[in-house]
Amino acid sequence: MANIDRRHVLKAGAAFSGATIFGIPFDVAAQAAKGGVLVIGSTQAPRHLNAAVQSGVATMMPAAQLFASPIRMDKNWKPQPYLAERWVLSPDNRSIQLVLRKDAVFHDGRPITAEDVKFSIETIRDNHPFKTMYGPVNAVTIDNPQTAVIRLAEPHPAVLLAMSTSLTPIIPKHIFGDGTDVKIHPRNSNPVGSGPFRLVEFKPGEHIVMERFDRFFLKDQPRLDRIIVRIFKDPGSLLLAFERGEVDVHQALTDPRELARVRKVPAAQVVKAAPAIGPVNWLAFNTKSPKLADKRVRQAINFAIDKQYLLKTLLGDMHSRATGPIASGSPYFSADVEKYELDLARANKLLDEAGVKPGGNGVRLTLDIDAIPGSADFKAMQEYLKQALTKIGVELNVRLSPDFPSWARRIASLQFDMTLDSVYNWGDPVIGVHRTWLSSNIKPGVIWSNTQSYSNPKVDEWLAAAGQEMNLTKRKDLYRQMQKAVVDDCPVAFLYEPAFYEAYQGKVANPPGGIWGLNDPVNESTVKA
Amino acid sequence: MMQTQHPTVTPAAPPGVQVISPLREAWRVFRGNKAAMLGLVLLSCIMLLMVVGPGLYGVNAFDIAGAPFTEPFVQQQLWLGTDYLGRDILAGMLIGGRATVMVGLAAACITVSIGVTVGSLAGYFGGWVDTLLSRLTELFQVLPTLLFAMVLVTLFQPSLGVVVMAIGLVSWTGTARLARAEFMRLRHLEYVSAARAMGARHLRLMLREILPNALPPLIVSATLIIGVAILFEAGLSFLGLSDPNVMSWGYMIGANRRNILECWWAVSFPGAAIFLTVLSVSLVGDGLNDALNPKLHLR
Amino acid sequence: MIQLLVAVIRRLAWAAGLVVAVLAINFVLIHAAPGDPASVIAGEMGGGDTTVIESIKRAYGLDRPLHEQFVTYIGKSLRGDLGQSYTYSKPVSELILDRIGPTILLVLTALIFAIFAGTLLGVFASRKPRSLLSGAVTVLSLVGYAMPVFWTGILLVILFGKVWPIMPIAGMRDVRQFGVGGWSAVVDVLHHLVLPAITLTIIYLAQYSRLARASMLEVLGSDYIRTARAKGLSEWVVTFKHALRNALMPVVTIAGLQFGNLISGAVLVETVFSWPGLGTLALDAILGRDYPTLLGILTFSSLLVILANLLTDLSYRWIDPRLRGK
Repeated sequence: MANIDRRHVLKAGAAFSGATIFGIPFDVAAQAAKGGVLVIGSTQAPRHLNAAVQSGVATMMPAAQLFASPIRMDKNWKPQPYLAERWVLSPDNRSIQLVLRKDAVFHDGRPITAEDVKFSIETIRDNHPFKTMYGPVNAVTIDNPQTAVIRLAEPHPAVLLAMSTSLTPIIPKHIFGDGTDVKIHPRNSNPVGSGPFRLVEFKPGEHIVMERFDRFFLKDQPRLDRIIVRIFKDPGSLLLAFERGEVDVHQALTDPRELARVRKVPAAQVVKAAPAIGPVNWLAFNTKSPKLADKRVRQAINFAIDKQYLLKTLLGDMHSRATGPIASGSPYFSADVEKYELDLARANKLLDEAGVKPGGNGVRLTLDIDAIPGSADFKAMQEYLKQALTKIGVELNVRLSPDFPSWARRIASLQFDMTLDSVYNWGDPVIGVHRTWLSSNIKPGVIWSNTQSYSNPKVDEWLAAAGQEMNLTKRKDLYRQMQKAVVDDCPVAFLYEPAFYEAYQGKVANPPGGIWGLNDPVNESTVKA
Repeated sequence: MMQTQHPTVTPAAPPGVQVISPLREAWRVFRGNKAAMLGLVLLSCIMLLMVVGPGLYGVNAFDIAGAPFTEPFVQQQLWLGTDYLGRDILAGMLIGGRATVMVGLAAACITVSIGVTVGSLAGYFGGWVDTLLSRLTELFQVLPTLLFAMVLVTLFQPSLGVVVMAIGLVSWTGTARLARAEFMRLRHLEYVSAARAMGARHLRLMLREILPNALPPLIVSATLIIGVAILFEAGLSFLGLSDPNVMSWGYMIGANRRNILECWWAVSFPGAAIFLTVLSVSLVGDGLNDALNPKLHLR
Repeated sequence: MIQLLVAVIRRLAWAAGLVVAVLAINFVLIHAAPGDPASVIAGEMGGGDTTVIESIKRAYGLDRPLHEQFVTYIGKSLRGDLGQSYTYSKPVSELILDRIGPTILLVLTALIFAIFAGTLLGVFASRKPRSLLSGAVTVLSLVGYAMPVFWTGILLVILFGKVWPIMPIAGMRDVRQFGVGGWSAVVDVLHHLVLPAITLTIIYLAQYSRLARASMLEVLGSDYIRTARAKGLSEWVVTFKHALRNALMPVVTIAGLQFGNLISGAVLVETVFSWPGLGTLALDAILGRDYPTLLGILTFSSLLVILANLLTDLSYRWIDPRLRGK
């Protein structure tokens, strides 16, 4: 009897407090906290939540909670069942049969079927910026409502990784398949999801509120009641919020001072996370520019950059050295490349050999240097490079772009000499690496294509072969040769791999520790009261 | 506002009486105004620092002068500390004034030029000219000032020239209305009608007879506009929408906007500089107002 | 009566024409600027190729000639459809509606407080022109006016962020309180409102106290007031009933102008305090080349100016009975 009364009172109370000005009335007290509320602080504001047509961590993190992918990768990069119970690769490696769970439903109660998987994969193939993820997919056929067969034009070793986390969110066909171009579909900011959390509210630029989906196909997961992503305009306020306990997670610590301050917070757990993302920061050269067409000039500049100074002093020893196009955490990484350690003598000699002699005032060459905006590190690096390159007679004109579109336009239209940039591997080289080095991807007007206009037929061959090679050893060897050649040709100077540091308050138990870090479903974590 | 007339022809004085020109009279009043003199002194100091400071100090504001986030008043060579990149704040303060004040002056020039031209033509000619120009003024008045300037600057590359034009384009309507009111009032004065009757040409009349008399409120208005333009440029720079290759006080605040809690000096000092400059300009402007309009001695 | 109606209709027609003209100017400007919105959108998606860019163009109607786009835009706006944001896949009208509340809350709070307090200060200062109060008002107005509004905000952020953390320095609500309604929500919002409102109020207060004082001084010296005094009316009545009415005109004028320029006035303060209003939306839209949102905000802003002008006119008539006949 008493229980019923209490529920009545709570319901009445909720109705009374339901007269709100802002926010949705929610019966907070009635739900016993199972896993608590996790508040994630981030400076990355997503445009919308549909990761099927949008790349980038800003979208992937919330999308991983809202949508389920066919498989999940465990800590050892091995695929585990998730939405798909099992999968079978055909002997000729040209088709994969996915068998889905029978008990999976969307947040509106409709069952998740092979039709939705087919629709999702085709949508990603046709719209997602990473064309190479599902490029080789000819068709997806349906055997029965639980079974979809992905038919490939050629063997595609990257496909399993592509099916993990929010690289392949399974989106509902009955919502998104209405004929509207999915890229601009109005439900992108208010989707019906398939994942462990369902969307409560998304205020662009402010916050994302998600809560546990009670009919999720894993019975005792997720454990959290709620996830709130709070978006901060600048890293300073995010850091302050973490120190004050206003947020439970700091998604991306970027410099040594932040790291030091976070470590002072009692019981804070700092994690070097998400090795699968594989970011590489580099100085890219426009090889179409006559000043930089000669490989010796580019190599000279590379030799004049003191990478140790950059890593230790400028970046405060937070990150590791990048020596080639493939990130060091990848199984395909090869260290068999020219390291371009500081060597001013060699740099000067190369420039002499290339016929770039000093003029009257000692200046051999004047170049513009750009940088993707928004990074204080890059700004500092531009200044450092300006000073460093005077030692080989190269004068730099530092150019600043006020915002991303201006910079992107400049680089995509090839109106640049050199630019600092940050490009991610995204797990398998096919997804994030090939796009920069393939001569077929020289596409003026498109950012993050082969804007360096780099063309090496042997590299094209190796990449094409590696994209289809199912044998691990053979694949590693192809990539080894490719890395050696790219580093030697020096279309970019590889600088460092920025580590993703995540910080969790002490009360967060079981923080995500997989290969995608926070960009995976946060199913196992809880927040202690 | 009540105005006094300053006829361009000084009436012949009876013998033995000293004639003080209106300009000297104005200066006398100004000099006696303590606040105005304070403003003038302050302004002169700022100008002086701006002009000779960077040369004397000799440090390039864009160079990395030391470790980032160095606190002020701690190190010998870095009196005002460094910002998040390690750039010398004092160097920035000295050279920053130039861009800030130059933009303020240039923008004020544009504002006044457009405003006086439009307003004088409207007020003098009346009729359809007035209607047309007043409608134009209304149109520009409806445009949101800061927003529209932000749009202009972003769309057309944030160089100093664009910033100056943008500020000028959104600020001229106030001056236009003032000029229009003045020219309308002065057009109907007896001696102007007389001159017209004698066949004087419009342009000559406007420039030589009316404009000098309309000057006092316009000068005061122009002074205030300089202050407004400085604040405007500072605002645009703060938002990151000014020329990134020019060190101005607003730029310093904007560049360090993301670190204000750790690097409060990098934003507080340039802000104080802007404040003092605008304050001194306002004091001078007020003083001019009192001096050129003696009937307003209502302190 | 008919005359009044005709006058109102003429005014409204003129106002509508103004809005369309402003829209046209901005439309042309935006499309005259260098850069291609479809490529920007593709870049924000994370890259893309020419087919993606082409499909974006088609989806947004960017492959149509300019005048056709403009006419379509006007037609849709009249029906309340301001298009879809390029950055977010949300209707522009929804984005704007979400953000209007916070901006109006912030600016109105500051304006109302500043007008009341400022006018009172100005009035009292005008009664004793050489007093300490009058001097204080002078200093306050000069200082308040010269302080860049974002600098004031930053100083407050430093004070309450580092030195004395008793106030929140960013945002409008505590996220942990999401879903909690009622009084708790009101208090939460007010708590967050304090600092940004104070920042704006300082500027406004400076202006209004000075304006009110100057205006009162002028009116107090007029014949009308001398007559009232001669009639033996008490100082209070003279000041508040007679003089204040007339002195309020400039205050109302300026208030109307500032209300009309609401968004521009709020941009800097909202940015400093991450206040989720139209100002921050506008800045994001400009930086992200989100043209539909930008056009929507500019349109809304012009409408606001026209509304403010209307309200100002009505206030004039209410304040000065002599104008009522017109």
